[in-house]
Amino acid sequence: MFKEFHYQVRGHGHLRDGTPVQDRTKFLSRGGVQVLCLADGAGSASHSQIGAQAIVDEGCALLAERFHDYAASTDGAVVKVEVLGRLMDKIGAVADRHGLRPSDLASTFLSVAVSGDRFLGAHVGDGVVGYLKHGELRVISGPDNSEFANQTTFVTSKGAAESIRLFRGSLEGVSGFILMSDGTGDSLFNPRTRQLAGACSKLITAVGTAPAQQSKNSKYRKQLRKFVDITVRDATKDDCAIGVLGRRVPGLDAHVTA
Amino acid sequence: MARLDIGADDLIDNPTPRVPVSLCLDTSSSMGGSPIQELVRGVNLFYDAIDEDDDAHDSAEINIVEFNSSAALVHDFASIERLQRITSLAANGLTAMGAGVNLALDSLEKRKATYSGSGVLYYQPWLVLMTDGAPTDNIESAVKRVVDLVDAKKLTVFPIGIGAGADMKTLARFSPHRPPLRLDGLKFKEFFEWLSKSVARVSRSTPGDTVKLDLEGLAGWAEL
Repeated sequence: MFKEFHYQVRGHGHLRDGTPVQDRTKFLSRGGVQVLCLADGAGSASHSQIGAQAIVDEGCALLAERFHDYAASTDGAVVKVEVLGRLMDKIGAVADRHGLRPSDLASTFLSVAVSGDRFLGAHVGDGVVGYLKHGELRVISGPDNSEFANQTTFVTSKGAAESIRLFRGSLEGVSGFILMSDGTGDSLFNPRTRQLAGACSKLITAVGTAPAQQSKNSKYRKQLRKFVDITVRDATKDDCAIGVLGRRVPGLDAHVTA
Repeated sequence: MARLDIGADDLIDNPTPRVPVSLCLDTSSSMGGSPIQELVRGVNLFYDAIDEDDDAHDSAEINIVEFNSSAALVHDFASIERLQRITSLAANGLTAMGAGVNLALDSLEKRKATYSGSGVLYYQPWLVLMTDGAPTDNIESAVKRVVDLVDAKKLTVFPIGIGAGADMKTLARFSPHRPPLRLDGLKFKEFFEWLSKSVARVSRSTPGDTVKLDLEGLAGWAEL
C-alpha cells in the first residue's frame, strides 16, 4: 500500500494577473487500486481549470476501473485510444454542460496507478512522472515540449494521440512515485540532464513514512504544503502542482515536524 | 521525529527561459541626422524598459544588426545586465536589407543552438526590421527564410517603416500574416516602449498561453 500527498498552488504570475489556479490533482483508492492524477490547464484556454478538474476526475475513475485490463493488455495502441477517448468524452460532456468548446478546457494529463505488484500510468503534455526504485530516482516520462518554452500538447490537441505515453511495470524495489506540473518542475526537474532533484527522493520518503493516522491538516501535511507554497512556488511564475505516492514501510512510520 | 529537511542542494536552479530579440536596423545615409539620433535614443530606452521589468529583465536577450552598404553585428546577444547602452550609430552607404535580415536570422539560429546546447528553454525569437527606404541588394533569400519561419510559427517579425520614404510594399513581403507598420514621425521612444511591454508579455507566458499583441498600444507610435 502507498500513502499519498497531492496539492496545487496558484503561481505568482497568475496571482498578479488575476488568473485562477489552473492545476488540479486528485487521488482515488478504489477496489484495491490506488490512482494519482495531475492536470495542468492551458493558459490560453478560457476555462482550463474546469478542464483540469474533469481530467483528474475521469483519469482517476478510468484507471481504477480498468487497471487490471490495461496491466494485462498486449496492445498499447488500443489502450492509448481508450484513455484519450474517455478523457475527451468527459471533456466534451463538461464543455456541453457549460456551453463551451472542448478547446476551452485544454489541459495536460499525468497519472500513475498501483495495485498488487504492478504499476501503470499515462502522460500527455509537459510535466514529469518519476519514481524512486532501489534508492535511485528515475524519470518515467518527461515533458513533451515543442521547440519553444510556452508550447506543449494537451489532451484536446490534435497531436494528443501521437504524444500520449503509457508506462507500466513491476513495483519490486519501488519506494514511490512523483508527478509534477511544469511549474513544480522548475525546481524539481533538470531539463538539460533530464534528472529529478534530490528533493524528490526526500518527498517520497517523507510521504511513505508519514504517520499512519493523519488528518487533512496534520503537521506532516502542513509541512509538505509549506514546501510547495514557498520553496517550489518562489522558483517559478507558473502554478505548481505535485502528487506523491510513498510506499508505506510497516514499523517505520515516522513523524514530520515543522 | 523526522523533519522534511530539503535544502538548496536538493533543488534544481533552472535558468529562466529566454526571449531572443534581434533588432535589424537600417543605418544607410538617408538615416543621417535626427532619425539616427532618435533611433539610438529609442534603443537605449528599450534597454532601460527591459531592465525595469522583472520578467523581461531575466528573459530578454537582444542583439543589434545594422545594414548600410553591407551588414554587420553591432553587438551580439546578451542579457540586459551585460548590455552596454549604445552611444551612436553612423549613418552611411546604401541599404543592404537582404544581407541585414540574413545576418539577423543567422544570429538567431546560432543563439537558439547555444540555448539548446546548454539546456536553456526559449520562446519564439523576434526579429524587428526597421528601415526608412528600399533595399539596394537582393532580398529574395531573406524574404523566403523569414516567410518560411513565420509560417512554421518559429519567428515573430515586426517590419517597421520610418518616414514617408520607407518601402512598405517590400516590408510587407517580410510579414505574411500582419501588415508592416509605419512609424508615426520619429516616435522611436513610443515604439520601443511598446516593444518592451510586448517582450515582457511573452516572458510571462506559460505553456498553452497565446501571447496577443497589444494592438491598442500601436496607436501610440504607428500610423494607423
